[in-house]
Amino acid sequence: MATVEERVKAVTARVLKLSPDQIKPEHSFTVDLGAESVQSVELVAMFEEEFGIEMDEESALAVETVGKAVDYITNACREQDVEQ
Amino acid sequence: MAQERQERSSKRRRKRHHLTDATKPNLLEDTFPYELPPLIQLEGPVVEYIDGEPVEFDFGAVKDRDLLISDTTFRDGQQARPPYTIEQMVHIYDLMSRLSGPNGVIRQSEFFLYTKNDRETLDRCRALGHKYPECTGWIRAFKGDFRLVKEAGLRETGILTSCSDYHVFHKLKFRSRRQCIDSYCEIVDAAFEAGVRPRCHLEDLTRADIDGFVLPFVDKLMEMSRQVPEELSVKIRLCDTLGFGVSYPGAELPRSVPKLIYKLNRECGVPSERLEWHGHNDFHKVHVNAGTAWLYGCDFVNTTLFGFGERTGNPPLEGAVFEYIAIKGDLCGIDTQVITELADYMRSIGLPIPDNYPFVGRSFNTTRAGIHADGLRQDERIYNIFDTGELLGRPPRVAITDKSGADGVTHWVNEFFGLKGENRINKIKVHKLARWVIDQYDEHGRLTAISDQEMEVKVKELMPEYWAKYKGSEK
Repeated sequence: MATVEERVKAVTARVLKLSPDQIKPEHSFTVDLGAESVQSVELVAMFEEEFGIEMDEESALAVETVGKAVDYITNACREQDVEQ
Repeated sequence: MAQERQERSSKRRRKRHHLTDATKPNLLEDTFPYELPPLIQLEGPVVEYIDGEPVEFDFGAVKDRDLLISDTTFRDGQQARPPYTIEQMVHIYDLMSRLSGPNGVIRQSEFFLYTKNDRETLDRCRALGHKYPECTGWIRAFKGDFRLVKEAGLRETGILTSCSDYHVFHKLKFRSRRQCIDSYCEIVDAAFEAGVRPRCHLEDLTRADIDGFVLPFVDKLMEMSRQVPEELSVKIRLCDTLGFGVSYPGAELPRSVPKLIYKLNRECGVPSERLEWHGHNDFHKVHVNAGTAWLYGCDFVNTTLFGFGERTGNPPLEGAVFEYIAIKGDLCGIDTQVITELADYMRSIGLPIPDNYPFVGRSFNTTRAGIHADGLRQDERIYNIFDTGELLGRPPRVAITDKSGADGVTHWVNEFFGLKGENRINKIKVHKLARWVIDQYDEHGRLTAISDQEMEVKVKELMPEYWAKYKGSEK
């Protein structure tokens, strides 16, 4: 089964139209991967769908890097009792 | 010397300014209460130099003066368009009365009296039984016309007493100013005899010889007024016929609004309650000049709905209403929502109101920028002039374009579903709609704004669960 990091990369690649291999944990969604305003919103929405969780709009949109998104989602899954 | 004085004065006034640090916002709510238009808090005295002497005006007392609005939508307003039907005028008058409220802030409205339709309109308006606006007439400066006023049972009528030499000599063809004044005074006498108060309209005042013609004429009118009961005494309308009036301190006569009012009010002794300002908007000064007239001593400002009048129009009535509330600091019984009703009605009968027209234009409180929409989403006060939802039935809106962003789209959706506070949908939930909007421009090269109707269709398609929840019961 894919890890949280692999799934985050896959969603990011799909939304931003990139290859998963190009995406690294330290990459910033906006600066390095070029996410525009609406794409940031789409990313959060797609993460919610992928993991079956609800994310707080403000704090989720404040997450800057792929690695921090992995941590954020891992915590959210744990808090919402969702299998990762 | 002058330079030295300026330098000295500039040194004296220079001072350091220290930050007042704060961790809580100071929203200046004494001035910007949000449930009212921003207040105009005036302090006095204000000094204007007139004939080389300093003259004080007590602006602090303005709030307690009996400021009033009069209306000329059916006279000056109608001169700028094809005639209204009787039904239209009766409906507008009825709405104006509701707007005015029990205190009669919109105190008077003037009517033509010449045709059968004019007289029937007047009768039907009065048959509504409203105390305010009182109906007054408007006639030419012909003695015979007083018969019309008398037959209509009106207590007051405007009469045209043009006062610049452009009119006296070139239009009315008088041989001399003396002959002109004598002729006007005959008409005023005829009004007195008919038991009708004359309201002398000093046409083209801001281009007239004030000392040589206007003041002697008004002196004469005041002298005549002293011979008749107070209710017949002459009222004076200061007509800025071509919009030449200026409000700036230091401006010279005949263009200075403050000085004109001072001369008539204090030198000629026309009391404030018998002074009225009538402006035109040829130089974009119409509303400020009307407000200035209030401050310097005219109790009445004469207006038309949405400023619609001869050429560039008159002071807008709805603008004067908000100015009034801002000065008084209270709604004073005015039903401001009727302004929106009036605008909808006027549009329905063909009056063009530009989209960006203050208070009533379709887009007057609509933002197109995503960053402004973000502000509105967080706190509508950030980008709204006052509580337009409460006072005008028009909450702030966003127009959807490529600049709207997810914030703009989210604001639109929440307004559309009527969701407030914690019930508002967050932008994560509108991502499909936001994507559709962006694609219209990025992928399909669209150049126009997206209409509400298009948005509605897309909300139904892309947010079916919310549609079912909030619109499900609607067909």
